[in-house]
Amino acid sequence: MWWCASWRSYERRNEENTDIVAKVSDVRAMGGGATMSAGLEHIATDNLGERLRIARDAAKLTQAEAAASAGLARTTLVAIEHGQRRVRMEELRTLARLYGTTVNGLSRRDAIHLDLAPQFRKLGGAVDPVVEDATRLLADLVSAEVELENLLGIQRTRNDPPRRPILPGDVTIQAEQDATELRQWLGIGAGPVLDIVSLLELRIGARVFVRQFDGKISGAFAFDDAVGACILINGNHRPERRAHTAAHELGHFVSTRDRPDILRDGPPGQARSERYANAFASAFLTPARTTMQLFQDITAGSSHLSRRHVILLAHMFGVSREALVRRLEALKLARPGTWDWFQDHDGITDVQARQVLGDAAGQDSVPPVSQRLNLLAAEVWRRELLSEGQLARLLRMDRVALRAMLDDLEPAGDEAADALRLRG
Amino acid sequence: MGTIVLDASVIINLNASRIADAVLAAWPGRVVIVEDTLLELREDIRSGRNDAAMVAGLIASGRLTRGTLNEAGLRLFESLVIGPAAETLDDGEAATIAFAAVAGASPVIDERKGRRIGQNRFPSLTFLNTTDLFAADAVQAAIGAAALGDAVFQALRDARMRVPPERLGWVVAAIGRDRARLCPSLPASVRDP
Repeated sequence: MWWCASWRSYERRNEENTDIVAKVSDVRAMGGGATMSAGLEHIATDNLGERLRIARDAAKLTQAEAAASAGLARTTLVAIEHGQRRVRMEELRTLARLYGTTVNGLSRRDAIHLDLAPQFRKLGGAVDPVVEDATRLLADLVSAEVELENLLGIQRTRNDPPRRPILPGDVTIQAEQDATELRQWLGIGAGPVLDIVSLLELRIGARVFVRQFDGKISGAFAFDDAVGACILINGNHRPERRAHTAAHELGHFVSTRDRPDILRDGPPGQARSERYANAFASAFLTPARTTMQLFQDITAGSSHLSRRHVILLAHMFGVSREALVRRLEALKLARPGTWDWFQDHDGITDVQARQVLGDAAGQDSVPPVSQRLNLLAAEVWRRELLSEGQLARLLRMDRVALRAMLDDLEPAGDEAADALRLRG
Repeated sequence: MGTIVLDASVIINLNASRIADAVLAAWPGRVVIVEDTLLELREDIRSGRNDAAMVAGLIASGRLTRGTLNEAGLRLFESLVIGPAAETLDDGEAATIAFAAVAGASPVIDERKGRRIGQNRFPSLTFLNTTDLFAADAVQAAIGAAALGDAVFQALRDARMRVPPERLGWVVAAIGRDRARLCPSLPASVRDP
């Protein structure tokens, strides 16, 4: 099932001691700024009020609940959120703690605040806390990445693929054509895509985050003209499933990018956009002609499709064994119901995969994390633009995990050589 | 030695060393942790380290004293957390420095940016780091070289403790060259000279 929510980019102050707000898209052009810290009285009340509202919303508190917990009159909190009353430091500390954030996180001038929750809630019906958490995680990580880019003065290169709205007719046929066209547009030929996260990040310029969260959610997608495509992938899932989620979200980027989505675990949804995205993922990861060719090569001389065939082909494409068999069925290379037959006869197990693939069976063909955000964070830390505490909060990481990541990304001693210096 | 104020980065290292109680017991002065740092540690329950529980035990036993910012401390805190990202600190780091500045104490903070900003703003304060605690004469005398070497190694290995350049020699001497090779948070030049 797909849940859709519109994406909303929030704004930030850009110049010291002014009330000017700028859209996220304008932030990079501003640069500069004060080198000295400023007090609370210098922050625009409407800006801080909006940030407090977003933080309260993320903490899932009503104004009445938040005001009662903070010892404020509800009317006072309303006035603060509307910028009609300046919040005092003691009040700001209390509210920050109540909302699970910090004064620095709320008032740091460069902080970016993106909010998905209100648009999602407009869908109506029961609100699922798991979906809300995933949506918030995506918004937080995008905010973090934009803030890091701004701190480093980096202009992100985007390469948004052409839009291909879903047309009347068979969506699976359109998805097959669109996936082939996108491969041509990217110039990646018809071979297996072994690292779709890097493809999305580096070739398309999407913001991709692989994080561990509730297994009921496979991934999420949102798009904004200012920040581009944003994709969250569940790091708790197996590599081949993560690849499918990434390709599925890519399908939404191509076809329905103006509607943010959350991909839930479970049987495939029946909405046309959902069927399109699944067909697109399958066609993109296992292109028809290449699949037919490899199938012919691997099954040469065989009279039956074996588990070994499935294991080898799935491994070559970096997809799940189920996805591979269903693709063979769709391409009429295997009889309808083949996957169900395997399921009814003890399936195809990881033990069998290890017997066929040996050491390669355990290799993670999809990197466990997206690298770009980590590289930005390491550079910001190296330049002392953010502290360990600020970075840990920004990236929603445990401090020791953050230290380990920073250590891993530290250049080797000999990499400081002039010969390796990048041209400016 | 006077009063010291511990930042979260230091608490994490002490917890990983497994001798936090002995270090603080040997420290010849009052040891404080501010409310903001306590909250920060309580939030971090997913890590499995349970730093907050260790701190609660140290407070209960009197090794650690809770500190609260007064009016003057709050003003300093405000000046450290509000402003451009490059010139501000997170709440725990800022509160640690603000409390120390008002109390005339020494902040213990391993974070480079925190130390830089703190030293620029409060040049009269003596900023310490975790290795300064381990290397204090009183702590070395109370714990002994072998146990201290094990503790420092555990802080390096399990918490990726940061070591300032001036303490690298002491750290390698304490843990030995073989174990230094196993510590990714030490510079490559020290791990593999």
